[in-house]
Amino acid sequence: MLGWEFPPIINGGLGVACHDLSAAMSDLANITMVIPKSSPGFKMKNMNLIGLNSLDINSVENYFNSNQPLPFKLHSVPANLNPYYVDQAGDYTGSSSSMSARGNEKPGAFTLDQLYGNDIIAKVEEYATITAGMAREMDFDVIHAHDWMTMLAGIKIKQQTGKPLVMHIHSLEVDRGGENSKGWVYQLEKKGMEYADLLMPVSHFTAGNIQQHYGIDKSKMAVIHNGSKTVEAFRSKRKFKEKTVLFVGRLTRQKGPEKFLDIASKVLEKDRNVRFIMAGSGDYFKSLLESSSYKNIGNRFHMAGFLNQQKLNYLFSISDVYCMPSISEPFGLSAVEAAQFKIPCVISKQSGVAEVLNGSLKFDFWDTDKAAGCVLNLLNDKVLRTKVVEDASSNLHNISWEIAAKKIVDAYSTNKLI
Amino acid sequence: MPSICFYFQVHQPFRIKNYSFFDIGSGLPYEDEQKNREIMNKVAEKCYLKTNKKMLELIDRHKGRFRISYSISGTAIEQFEQYRPDVLQSFIDLSRTGCVEFLSETYYHSLSFLHSKDEFKRQVEKHAAVIKKYFNQEPKVFRNTELIYNNELAAYIEGMGYKGIVCEGLDRALNGRTPNFLYQPVNTTRIKALLKNYRLSDDIAFRFSDKGWAEFPLTANKFTTWVHSVAGHGDTVNLFMDYETFGEHQWESTGIFNFLDSLPAEIFKHPHFDFKTPSEVVDSYPVRGNYDVHNFSSWADTERDLSAWLSNSMQQEAMKQVYSVEKQVKQSEDPALIRMWERLQTSDHYYYMCTKFWNDGDVHKYFSPFDSPYDAYLYFMNVFSDLENRLGKKKKTKKALQPDKTDAALTVPLPVGNNKPKRVSAARANKKKAQEQLKAQYSKMLEYMCEI
Repeated sequence: MLGWEFPPIINGGLGVACHDLSAAMSDLANITMVIPKSSPGFKMKNMNLIGLNSLDINSVENYFNSNQPLPFKLHSVPANLNPYYVDQAGDYTGSSSSMSARGNEKPGAFTLDQLYGNDIIAKVEEYATITAGMAREMDFDVIHAHDWMTMLAGIKIKQQTGKPLVMHIHSLEVDRGGENSKGWVYQLEKKGMEYADLLMPVSHFTAGNIQQHYGIDKSKMAVIHNGSKTVEAFRSKRKFKEKTVLFVGRLTRQKGPEKFLDIASKVLEKDRNVRFIMAGSGDYFKSLLESSSYKNIGNRFHMAGFLNQQKLNYLFSISDVYCMPSISEPFGLSAVEAAQFKIPCVISKQSGVAEVLNGSLKFDFWDTDKAAGCVLNLLNDKVLRTKVVEDASSNLHNISWEIAAKKIVDAYSTNKLI
Repeated sequence: MPSICFYFQVHQPFRIKNYSFFDIGSGLPYEDEQKNREIMNKVAEKCYLKTNKKMLELIDRHKGRFRISYSISGTAIEQFEQYRPDVLQSFIDLSRTGCVEFLSETYYHSLSFLHSKDEFKRQVEKHAAVIKKYFNQEPKVFRNTELIYNNELAAYIEGMGYKGIVCEGLDRALNGRTPNFLYQPVNTTRIKALLKNYRLSDDIAFRFSDKGWAEFPLTANKFTTWVHSVAGHGDTVNLFMDYETFGEHQWESTGIFNFLDSLPAEIFKHPHFDFKTPSEVVDSYPVRGNYDVHNFSSWADTERDLSAWLSNSMQQEAMKQVYSVEKQVKQSEDPALIRMWERLQTSDHYYYMCTKFWNDGDVHKYFSPFDSPYDAYLYFMNVFSDLENRLGKKKKTKKALQPDKTDAALTVPLPVGNNKPKRVSAARANKKKAQEQLKAQYSKMLEYMCEI
């Protein structure tokens, strides 16, 4: 298995999903997970976790020397790529050396901003080279790569070993950047997905996007909905009297934060006794803040910044409605977390979670009128609230990493990969 | 001499629109007129006109020996009047043949019997009046909405002077007996119950085009052999179904019209079989036992109970709320308001809120104008809140209020033109102020973040 983000270095859903999924799968299969950087104290049972930062430098040099050409041409363009917004606050470690096989230091380059950041293309290529070198000495049946950062590695390993390549698609460039985002990452995704034997998008929504924007037929895909870890849900007492509507996510175009603001101002027109909280950081932070004070709803609209899980859980525990207005959301784990906290969700139909969380109110992301109406109905109608929460709770039984892991292993065999 | 008794249900609801929380108090109409018209037009073309033509043809061809019955809801008749008078006329043409009976039902296709006997009786009478008006018949056989039925209803209907009542042939009430006889509802003395033969009815209504069904394809000849096998141990084979089966649920391309076309001739091949309307069945045959249904039953879903309309909290709440204002609505003496309240009783609204097929994660296939049962509920409740508001206002200022006052106020154009330039310049002038506000907000935000 080839991963990129992994605990404790987490930026969004990908790291969590990779960790929880591989943990569940380790009960069904022998897994070696290769990630750019592992934390020395971080171990997982039943699983061989390899961080490239902990490799012996001599072996790394060997991997570089025996490099094969790719099955297709990939022009590398120096670019300042930042596919995910990475906040300064997300800087977990102080390490700053770049990943390099030269010199006597270990390749220990990966802090969170360095997982992505300026020279990500070089990192992706280096990760691919080293991982492919390692793979030559390993025994395995399936290559399972997560998202575009590890695709190049997956391709190289398949090329070398002839083993089947599975690509797990958690998010696409067209989700993050919009339909017209067709640069280097898009090209890599397209080539990679074409070269793979089987794709595992996290939702039918994403499968549809792959078909529509990358021209790959759905017959080559097995949809694997994400699971979710069970959380100890609790309720806390609010420090203010107003009801609370919550948004959690990066403040980037993809997550539709300005839609949330729109919804907030519409709700507040009708009812001033509601507070709106946004947890997350991103390049929309400042403009949102400005708009909120422009719209004169600043005292009801709060931007809490990037929060750790504990603080996030506190926010869940005081909220009355969860709102996810994403423009293009491959899955949307946060809605499942909200459901675990027994908060009714108002979510965009352009999301994967809408496929598994029937117990939720759904709207098209552009239809903020409908979303605002739904929020108001939920805040004012106890019968509706209770029913939505009840139904969501019963949906949760079908949303688990164990089910996802089982489906993956089944898909391996139905597609004759093992 | 066994009879085939056909009864077809004709119904269309007045669907409400996506009436948002923001629409409450706006004076906007509740109903989705465009959708109602579109659906009526579609069904008229695909089913009503075609099937009526076929029925008329069959009645002519068999010189009056082919006989059928309809129950047409009041809301469907209103939609014919409003959108498709040609459909109404084609039913009138059928009524003039003397071979077609029209049954009695609640005007609004409602579940009123469960909540208010007064309202129920009023709707049944209102329906009888419209049947008399268009078809010149006084209904003698009653069918309740979706064949909802129990002993109490049968007794009540007997008290209203009916001689027959139509209901589902429940396995649990028949206990191995056949539905092909007339039965006596318990606690009644005169009224006779006609029981739906759900196997043969559903062979046509649901399984006709099911390629996975072992008996596919169903020919008139094959179906008739099943019907003829009743000879000797049954008086009446009651085939009850939605009229939309013909052309709408089963498309023309499935061959359903050809099936219908050849069915009577096939049936007549057995000299002892004929077609009778429900009243004729009641007049011709005796009852052969008691029929005891204590809990409400219906013809819906596999449960054949009330769960399609009343199984979850939203459905119960919506219905409870609607009947809770009955008295006030009737006292308002406002025809528009009363009519809206009546239409909110139509069973379809509650059916759209049903979630029982949902939790297994399967896509719910039922026919609903809404995205989800929650949408169905919340739009319905928004409409209801608006109605309640109007009711409240009415109460306070019953005499003083001009009916159109609120509407008129809404149509007064806002002076947008003058305000626009002002706004822009104000925005410029306030830029500094906004920046200061922003600063203040940043510090507020910091405080807030420390709090949590």
